[in-house]
Amino acid sequence: MSNSKQAELASAQVFSMLLGAVGLTVLPHAWNLSWDIFLGFFVLWSWRCIGVWRPRYLPSKALLFAVTLLSLGFLYSQHQGVFGRDAGTRIFVIALGLKLLEIKTIRDVQLTVNFAFIIAATLFLYQQSLLMAAYIIVVCLSLLMTLNAIHSKITDVMLLARCVGVMLLQALPVCIALFVLFPRLEAPRWAFLNERTLTKSGLSDTLEPGSITDLGLSDELVFRVKFTGSRPPPDELYWRGPVFSHTDGKHWTPSLSNKARRHPDDLRFAGNSYNYTLLLEPQSKPWVFALDMPASLAPNLVMNADYQLITTVNPEQRAEYALRSYPHYNTGVLPPIEAQENLALPQTISPEIKNLVGELAGFTQPPAVFIQAVLRYFREQPFYYTLSPPLMVEHPIDTFLFQTRTGFCSHYATAFVYLLRVAKIPARVVSGYQGGKLNAIGEFLEIRQADAHAWAEVWLAGQGWVRFDPTAAVAPERIQQGVNIDMQLASGTVNFSLFDAAAQHGVLAQWYQTLRQGWQNVDYSWQRWVINYNTANQASFLQGLGMQDMATALRWLLISIALCTFSIFVFLMRRPVRVPDRALRHYQRFLRQLARHNLVCATGETASAFAQRVGEQLPACRAEVEQITQLYLQCRYGKQVEVAQLQTLAKLAAGFKLKA
Amino acid sequence: MTRALESLLHAANQVVLGKEIQIRLAICCLLARGHLLIEDLPGVGKTTLAHTLAKLMGMDYQRIQFTSDLLPADILGASVFEPEKQQFTFHPGPIFRQMVLADEINRATPKAQSALLEAMEERQVTVEGKTYALPQPFFVIATQNPSHQLGTFPLPESQLDRFLMRLELGYPSAAAERALLAGQNRQQLIQTLQTQLLPEDLQAMQLAIAQVHTAEPLLDYVQAILAFTRRSQEYACGLSPRAGLALMQAAKTWAFMQQRDAVIPEDVQAVLPAVAGHRLRPSSNDAEAIVAPILAQVAIP
Repeated sequence: MSNSKQAELASAQVFSMLLGAVGLTVLPHAWNLSWDIFLGFFVLWSWRCIGVWRPRYLPSKALLFAVTLLSLGFLYSQHQGVFGRDAGTRIFVIALGLKLLEIKTIRDVQLTVNFAFIIAATLFLYQQSLLMAAYIIVVCLSLLMTLNAIHSKITDVMLLARCVGVMLLQALPVCIALFVLFPRLEAPRWAFLNERTLTKSGLSDTLEPGSITDLGLSDELVFRVKFTGSRPPPDELYWRGPVFSHTDGKHWTPSLSNKARRHPDDLRFAGNSYNYTLLLEPQSKPWVFALDMPASLAPNLVMNADYQLITTVNPEQRAEYALRSYPHYNTGVLPPIEAQENLALPQTISPEIKNLVGELAGFTQPPAVFIQAVLRYFREQPFYYTLSPPLMVEHPIDTFLFQTRTGFCSHYATAFVYLLRVAKIPARVVSGYQGGKLNAIGEFLEIRQADAHAWAEVWLAGQGWVRFDPTAAVAPERIQQGVNIDMQLASGTVNFSLFDAAAQHGVLAQWYQTLRQGWQNVDYSWQRWVINYNTANQASFLQGLGMQDMATALRWLLISIALCTFSIFVFLMRRPVRVPDRALRHYQRFLRQLARHNLVCATGETASAFAQRVGEQLPACRAEVEQITQLYLQCRYGKQVEVAQLQTLAKLAAGFKLKA
Repeated sequence: MTRALESLLHAANQVVLGKEIQIRLAICCLLARGHLLIEDLPGVGKTTLAHTLAKLMGMDYQRIQFTSDLLPADILGASVFEPEKQQFTFHPGPIFRQMVLADEINRATPKAQSALLEAMEERQVTVEGKTYALPQPFFVIATQNPSHQLGTFPLPESQLDRFLMRLELGYPSAAAERALLAGQNRQQLIQTLQTQLLPEDLQAMQLAIAQVHTAEPLLDYVQAILAFTRRSQEYACGLSPRAGLALMQAAKTWAFMQQRDAVIPEDVQAVLPAVAGHRLRPSSNDAEAIVAPILAQVAIP
């Protein structure tokens, strides 16, 4: 450029603002990028910082070129290309760092700021939480402040922040219009969201209770449920997950042949139903945890032979499902192949178990009686519920039943199912979640990993599969209240953070709970209304607004942007009229009354002088005029104006009538 | 405090008859810590007014008669060699008093005038390299004859600016003059006057004046006045920021004397002729006429 030689050089203040803003922009990438890239950027950044005060330490053109080549070579060796989220972000970040080193003029600063906006956008590729959105607003604010400082030549930082804040607020309507009306791009989010956002723990497709000595419970959110209408009682809150029919004595796995539904129409429902929407967090498995027993399905769900819901869309995306469930149901007859599967036992059944089943009249009494006997056995014998059971390597069922007698839900469910199968009653283990914590503010249930549970299903003639929860026999509070993560925190069974633990005691506990619930409610809304606003949601929302197709929506988008721009234009271009205060408005009303009778307050005539003149001409009104004038002077010029005085003035001025 | 003020006004009106407004303005000027210039024909009671105020306010009082041969040392004082002590000793001049009446100030040469005016501004006196503070409070009441009279050196604008107010007394009304003629000798009357204002009263009043509220619309009005004098064709030059400060101070004091805790436009209008009259280069010499366009043309916001 010919005029680049005369171009204005950036001042040290502009540099410090730019470097601060750029540093803020890249900072959250500490969690997203490998340490070498992150460190590399901040080395370049620090180099530039030093260069602001000691320009001779800045690299020469040749050195900069060499560093650039080296960085590109390093990036290429790492990624073999520039495609993909990580490679792209890394190139951007390193390029930004290199660009910093060659900034000299105002024009360079402007370019760099624009570039930094792109980096700010890449932050969303890694995290889409509300906190990140707030952080990015701060980043935008600082970047815009730098731009504003260049153009307006304002040096006062607070003033800059105010200007930019006002600008952002003015941009807000346009931003909302674009968000709502601009066609949503259906980007495959799983393509660029890495596994970090996905669940680490969670239900597994194999159950092996004996091998677990410490159940790692996390308070990670699995899904949230909002009921329309009534909520079921806590002991009906069984969220159905994978069903385990097959066992080798140690491991429990799903039925080997449940790929297709074998009985599409023998589910019969009775009683009242519950309608709810379920917002499922990203999962690694396509399981949707519906309340027992789901009836009407969303179009992208299928039900497998174990009555478990499977989603047909990618589970790594957060998704919302509208569902209806009936707590009372009958699954009908049991086909032979399924009966066989749910009666199958490993070859060797120990004599102790056979003895136990015999003692509990398993071979003689009807199934219902035997089930009650088993449950009574769990309840009356010294069985304990614990999240840290001892290891049971060989014959876990025997060890559990006769030696350790301590365990959690999986132990009870598997032992229960085992005993029933010995007594030739079809039974299986169902895993899923139980309970959930009510968010009182948003009135939705939150189900966390800690709510994971396993229970048993027994097939009874005439009733079909019936749910029994042997854990409830041992630890009924587990079912009534759900696994209270707070209770476990208090008892020291699990620990998430010091703050959580500390919040269980003392007066802070309630505030903390309220705050936490409030925050989770905000987060729920954010996920539901902002992040989850995809093509389908947009289409239905716009149809609700009466926009049938995208063309109409785009037309409305243009109209609303034009409207926003125009109203801001009008707002900015209006004449700076000083708003007369309220006292003056009331007084002017009084003056208008008098002006009708040719009593006009002259320019420069004081209110008192005018009042005296009016009093002389209209003796009948003198007292009233004087009162209004006194109040006006008090309100307009006085030190402390009472609201009552202003109201009196308003009343008197409004009610003033001339008396001849 | 207000009773002290009322009795002060009342007593002053007993001596200087028929000049309520001027007396009120003069006291306003002194309460606002300003110096006062009284301009009028000889014999209309300038000196009497100044003398009365000094007496009533309980200040030690000195009159300096300005003449064309008056020297600065006659005002400020001088170092005199004392043979018995074998050293120079400073003999303070008549200016080392709380209230100084500079009579017929425009009869003296500019050199003598400026000696007084510098003391007024600095409230201290420097003689032969040594600085002497003047007593607190320190007021100067100057009188001058109309400048068109013979044998006068008119005060330049920069020096007129040092006076917070300029008052004109004018001839008394017929009734007032009759009472004056029938009454006793004014000089004797002044001798019998009692002090009406204690120094702590004065201090308390000045504190209270500082607390008087000035609302935004009032500041708008004062600014509009200042802007008008600078813009208008009626005046050679407009009011200075110092004049604006003086106007605010005088208006606040006036509002205080009217027993208000906030200034209203009337207060500004009341003190405007006295405060602004001598600061605006006049086409006519009549303060009322000088400021009349202001009052008539500046809208009260």
